[in-house]
Amino acid sequence: MNLPDFQAFQHAFGRHLRDPHHTPRPAGVPARRMAVYNELLFNNITGALDACFPLCRKLLGDIRWRRLNRTFFRDWKASSPWFREIPREFVRYLNECAIRQPLPAWFAELAHYEWIELAVDTMDCPTPPHQPAGDLMRQPIVLNPALRLLAFAWPVQRIGPGYRPRKPQPTQLVVYRDAKDRVRFVATNPVTARLLALLGAQPTAGEAACRQIAAELQRSDPAPVIAFGVDLLDDLRRQGIVLGTAA
Amino acid sequence: MPQHLMPRQAASGAGLGFRRELIEPLKRGVPEVIRFFEIAPENWAGVGGKSAKDLRHFSERYPFVCHGLSLSLGGPAPLDEALLLRIRSFMAEHGIMLYTEHLSWCADDSQLYDLLPIPLSEKAVKWTVDRIARAQDILGRRIGIENASYYVAPPDAEMSESEFISAIVRESDCLLHLDVNNIYVNSRNFGFDPLAFLDALPLERTCYVHVAGHYVEADGLLIDTHGADVIDPVWSLLATAYQRIGDVPTCLERDFNIPDLGRLSAEVETIARLQNAARQPQAA
Repeated sequence: MNLPDFQAFQHAFGRHLRDPHHTPRPAGVPARRMAVYNELLFNNITGALDACFPLCRKLLGDIRWRRLNRTFFRDWKASSPWFREIPREFVRYLNECAIRQPLPAWFAELAHYEWIELAVDTMDCPTPPHQPAGDLMRQPIVLNPALRLLAFAWPVQRIGPGYRPRKPQPTQLVVYRDAKDRVRFVATNPVTARLLALLGAQPTAGEAACRQIAAELQRSDPAPVIAFGVDLLDDLRRQGIVLGTAA
Repeated sequence: MPQHLMPRQAASGAGLGFRRELIEPLKRGVPEVIRFFEIAPENWAGVGGKSAKDLRHFSERYPFVCHGLSLSLGGPAPLDEALLLRIRSFMAEHGIMLYTEHLSWCADDSQLYDLLPIPLSEKAVKWTVDRIARAQDILGRRIGIENASYYVAPPDAEMSESEFISAIVRESDCLLHLDVNNIYVNSRNFGFDPLAFLDALPLERTCYVHVAGHYVEADGLLIDTHGADVIDPVWSLLATAYQRIGDVPTCLERDFNIPDLGRLSAEVETIARLQNAARQPQAA
């Protein structure tokens, strides 16, 4: 089907904005004026990405970082109308697109790690009713809803200018917003991560969750896991990861 | 009314663009001249945490206006109805009565995240009118469309920009959101008379006004940055507009190089002063 002329212009304009060096400037558009748009639009993208991914930028270096910003703008079909989700679109691009530019093996995970702070900071999830002092072992536990449980193949929280890992090292992180709306990162272990996953899947009392984990670990006696769970859950409540029990 | 819905409050007088950078100073005291705030739903809807609490603090006390960025009214992709539904509930959550968008496009088959000029053709009028009508159906109210700034005049125009705007306002029965800085910027960049342009617009449909500063590049091209103080020719264009339309609610936009609240509110005072002058009976 033939597009109306005005839409043919719009598509030509969009193609040039995404890839000004390899697609022709639309007919009838002066170079000076086109340059204004090329600069404005790419600056919007780099502004959003620079603000969210300072470490990715630093570790890649400005030239390679800008090249990656450009291929993101050129190749990724960003569907979100929300400006704050440009970084999320970038994380999806890194995970879902075949990117020709060589990147460190841990790069997509590092970007995810940097983005998650913004994501958790702005997650829209009202605090559910709960008993802050409830019995965590016997009553269904209420988790903090502003929380993400993340499993990485690389030690993302240690990566920096002085540490670029060569070997994977499985890493579990709990990222959550505390009562004062500050975003917290806590490194955790597989058993704690499993416990939080069980509690997040459905409201479960601490003892029942511990029994299930003991069964999954093929322990004939659940008592040590339950004893471990008592201290662990108290600790999680102190940190604001567990809010309390169902009211 | 469910508890989370706010009573509706209409904006009037002079207002200021609501920005995160301004929240702490505004919490210490909102200058009296500021009678309402404007926000982009794209930056605030669906946001939780501290930002949401801050916004609620102010929307419980002041009227807000929604000024959209991403609806792409003239764009080739299907209208984003999910975005409109989210905006509708956001407006209900905060008691917001007015929503305006740019007469522009910002997405082809995916988002481009900036405002681009619509070719001035009959088919583009029809296309955009249908989309505005659908948006108005979903929101259950008339929307305002803003005359946008642009740096490229798409070739093969079949009409003037003011004819384009007038046809769209008439055929979609929507309202006009008048941006006097955009008129000034475009008049300088394309060499036309801003007053003649103003008078060719359907001013009787004006629901809302924007005033802002801009940036002048080395070669004289004006860029609509909202990053500088408003200049005198734009103030006088605003004063002239008030003579035609009366004291329609007007927002100062400031998005970059944000000065302290005192200096911003001095500009909001200028808006209020010009609105007051427009209310006085004309001498002779």
